[in-house]
Amino acid sequence: MSAKEHFGSRWGLVLATLGMAVGTGNIWRFPRIAAADGGGTFLVAWVVFLLLWSVPLMIVEFAFGKRARLGTVGAFVRLVGRKYAWMGAWVALCASAIMFYYSVVSGWCLRYLFGAVTGELPGAEPGALWESFGGSPAALVTHALALGLAVGVVWFGVRGIERVAKVLIPLLFVLVVVLAVRAVTLPGAEAGLSFLFTPDWKALADVHIWLDALTQNAWDTGAGWGLILTYAIYMKVREDVPLNAFLIGFGNNSMSLLAGIMVLSTVFAIQPDAQQQIVGAGNEGLTFIWMPQLFAHMPAGRLFMVFFFLALSFAALTSLISMVELATRVLMDAGFARHRAVVVVALGALVFGAPSALSMPFFRNQDWVWGVGLMLSGLLFAVGAAKFGVERLRREVVNGPGADLVIGRWWNFILLVLVPVEAVVLMVWWLWQARGWDPAGWLNPLSPESAGTVLAQWGVALVALLAANRWLARRSGAGAGEEES
Amino acid sequence: MSALAVVMMVVICGTIWGGFATLLARALMRERGKGGEGD
Repeated sequence: MSAKEHFGSRWGLVLATLGMAVGTGNIWRFPRIAAADGGGTFLVAWVVFLLLWSVPLMIVEFAFGKRARLGTVGAFVRLVGRKYAWMGAWVALCASAIMFYYSVVSGWCLRYLFGAVTGELPGAEPGALWESFGGSPAALVTHALALGLAVGVVWFGVRGIERVAKVLIPLLFVLVVVLAVRAVTLPGAEAGLSFLFTPDWKALADVHIWLDALTQNAWDTGAGWGLILTYAIYMKVREDVPLNAFLIGFGNNSMSLLAGIMVLSTVFAIQPDAQQQIVGAGNEGLTFIWMPQLFAHMPAGRLFMVFFFLALSFAALTSLISMVELATRVLMDAGFARHRAVVVVALGALVFGAPSALSMPFFRNQDWVWGVGLMLSGLLFAVGAAKFGVERLRREVVNGPGADLVIGRWWNFILLVLVPVEAVVLMVWWLWQARGWDPAGWLNPLSPESAGTVLAQWGVALVALLAANRWLARRSGAGAGEEES
Repeated sequence: MSALAVVMMVVICGTIWGGFATLLARALMRERGKGGEGD
């Protein structure tokens, strides 16, 4: 086994992995999408895909990391074969590209936390801070600050990650529970709960709701990103895989549900007439423009606004830490010492994240391209597991030493049939949907949110990774002739 | 809130939060059963 570091306990692993899974997507995207897709109907589809996408892929990632004890590139080389180093490299590239702009998002959260603490928010003019801050040089400073905090944790290795997770994740849960209780006890909050939970059974036949629910699972659980694989490297030998995967999936979605209750109850209690406008304002619009206004009209609103941005900052930073660790681990497998790898990742993220900090169109382009790229990452995990042998992976690793649950053959079917179909349908749907946003520039690679820009950037990345496959396999840490496939 | 909304709230929250609590309890019991066994 090449990994020398280990989590000190199961709870260290579980809390760090929950920190990875719970991010801004749970707090700022889930409530918006649930509201836009009719509440109760969407929730049914969302629970279904937790079991048909997120948890099965989380099990694969835990199994790959535990078996290979290498980062994404090395794990694919060792378990799937030397010809498939590019697959692990794609997963690493996609997660790292997201890290570059996610650090910017984390910086925004820190800036708003500062604004809430100092009383600068909500300000006289709604959205004034966002107008002056988003895409400005100040966002570059907060990007560097957020990155510095995450890098500072990864510098101390797995024990550093574990120590931080053990503090921040319980605090995050407490903060979100407090905010949700405050929200549902506001006069008029019942309308928000009613909106969130009332189903429209006819809408279950609407394919868009199912695709949105699948997308939400793909984006906010962290399944198929390579991040769980990275943390699983540091599991103990007799550590459980399946129960931990279910625990993370249900824990993550528990947090989303709390966030949905908190946001929608607040919106309906305080601004019932503007609810359509608020939930339609996009992630940044809802969080950075509307939420401060809503808290301003709430008793003890400033305190709860601080809690909200503190929770958002904790969620963002614990996810950012896992992304920094993923890239660091790949470099460590290639022969870098941890501290040298951390410095390289920090400098790379600082430089490559800077355009997203300074330009909102660039940020949106990267969020679009690599967000959809995650669906390809999920597909590659399913393909990798199939090449290794899903039944073998289930028998030898998933249900292997330390397993606290027994996974049946249903998992093989989900992984071999459903996950690939879901990934392909999602990718095609998103690219096709982009036609509606910009019909004339749909295939234009220079249009920021087009199918053309996705295909162009993916194309360049895939050609480069395929061309470098042998070199990647040599530098993966798997060693010559060590693969198990 | 309508009766349907209340039923859905109980079903969805029960599934997600109840599922999480049950899994957490099971993991706690397994860890207690292992009694600090290392590797």
